[in-house]
Amino acid sequence: MILRWLPILAPAILGFIISIAYNQSNLANPMLVLRMDLSVFAFVLGLFLSVIAAVGLLINDWVERRHVQSLVQSAQERRRFLSRLDHELKNPLTAILAAMANLRNAEEAGDQEQSILSIETQMGRMRTLVGDLRKLADLETRAIELEPVETGKVLQENYSYIQEMPEAQQRVWNLSIPQAPWPLPPVLADRDLLFLAVHNLIDNALKFTHPGDTIELRAYEDSAQVIIEVADTGPGIPEVELPQVWDDLYRGESARGVPGSGLGLALVRAIVKRHNGKVTVRSRAGQGSVFSIQIPTAEVAKR
Amino acid sequence: MSSESKLLLVDDEQAITENLAPFLERSGYTVIVAQDGEQALALVDSEHPDAIILDVLMPRLDGREVLRRLRAEGNWTPILLLTQVGEAVERAMALEEGADDYLNKPFDPHELVARVRAVLRRAKPGQPPLAAAWHLVCSNLKLDRKARRVHLGEEEVMLTPKAFSLLEYLMTHPDELVSRDRLLDVVWGWDYPVGTRAVDTRIAELRRMLKDDASEPTFIETIPGQGYRFSGIVEGRE
Repeated sequence: MILRWLPILAPAILGFIISIAYNQSNLANPMLVLRMDLSVFAFVLGLFLSVIAAVGLLINDWVERRHVQSLVQSAQERRRFLSRLDHELKNPLTAILAAMANLRNAEEAGDQEQSILSIETQMGRMRTLVGDLRKLADLETRAIELEPVETGKVLQENYSYIQEMPEAQQRVWNLSIPQAPWPLPPVLADRDLLFLAVHNLIDNALKFTHPGDTIELRAYEDSAQVIIEVADTGPGIPEVELPQVWDDLYRGESARGVPGSGLGLALVRAIVKRHNGKVTVRSRAGQGSVFSIQIPTAEVAKR
Repeated sequence: MSSESKLLLVDDEQAITENLAPFLERSGYTVIVAQDGEQALALVDSEHPDAIILDVLMPRLDGREVLRRLRAEGNWTPILLLTQVGEAVERAMALEEGADDYLNKPFDPHELVARVRAVLRRAKPGQPPLAAAWHLVCSNLKLDRKARRVHLGEEEVMLTPKAFSLLEYLMTHPDELVSRDRLLDVVWGWDYPVGTRAVDTRIAELRRMLKDDASEPTFIETIPGQGYRFSGIVEGRE
């Protein structure tokens, strides 16, 4: 500690010694600048250099600490991701092992069929998981094809697509796309990817709500951004879980028993990030959630 | 032809060859297995298979290199690549280097048999496949794979990269029913929940650009409930 601060204090100490020495001795002590004697000037200059060195050192420390923090954080994220992955694979594998054991002992064709069906289902789960992981990795590197896209149309198409699901009939839907005084401006986006992002949000809303709940799809323009929101009157998300919902493979308490790979929202986040946009979520436990995607309008994105 | 056909299956992963070989045999093919690229090249020389199913990632000599060497020798045995990575670049490269088709792992074995059957049907012994041609021509439609450009008559047709890949795949697989899922895989390398719609949108875009009437198509035919088929006669040129 002393060794670190000594070089920094050195200019101040040196300046102090010089100024004392000049005052004590009979050497000439001419007026320099701003009505300062050489002795006072030496002292002030020394102090000044020390302060600069100290500030530099503090900034350096802070940057280093930040770096270490982010390393620790990414190591933590990696650990969390691996343990989630482990968990996601363990369940289908356990189910397959059980089904295989049943298959070996099965005497009737019907029992065999049951086991094979179950193995197929679990394989499907793992296949989806691996596929989604690849998409996520692919999204970070692949070239995306940007073109002006009508957000309203993406929402509209998504809406009619989801209406084909039988569960969708048991929800109250509100679709609101502004037309007046002017329609929504286009965004510069990869149409298929934007479609997928919105689809994942709507699909989630459908999965997590119950019959009779309301799901609202809306879009609006705000300071050169188009904001797409998917709101629902579902169970909501506890506050502690909110920051993590966009993470890879994160599945909250209420997601137990709901099918999915735990990568739907992570994909949404990755897609929106590639479009220089932002994702946010607001929620109140017991009341519902709003997921929103914010993407710059084509006007802004081009500049 | 297919009942007599001999397939060379090349994959270093024994778990895959052990399960896939019997499946292919039950589908009516004679199957020989190689564990790596070098062994594959030796077996091509001694056994003269009718088609090769080739894994890309292998120790010693990888699948891409095997493909390159065979094509350089002027050996046009149909090759189906098994790709690990679904990246668009990788897939484009596979086709450009003269693979007849490819499948992303993990795949459904039934899909593999369907691909093998199509590849064998298309192959003309000793002749390069369309997949190895740089220029594809169908009446007044010309597709330049190297420059990634399309001409209709004298006029250039400006296609988005995705629409281009789609047309390229359809033209290298003429007269073949291609499912929406397969096309999705070609353009995106993914399956994706709302993807079949994306394919339909792209096909509509292609038809508009190629002035192809969906009800009376010269190029792309819709097979209701199944997919699409390129119905024109395609010629490959250097």
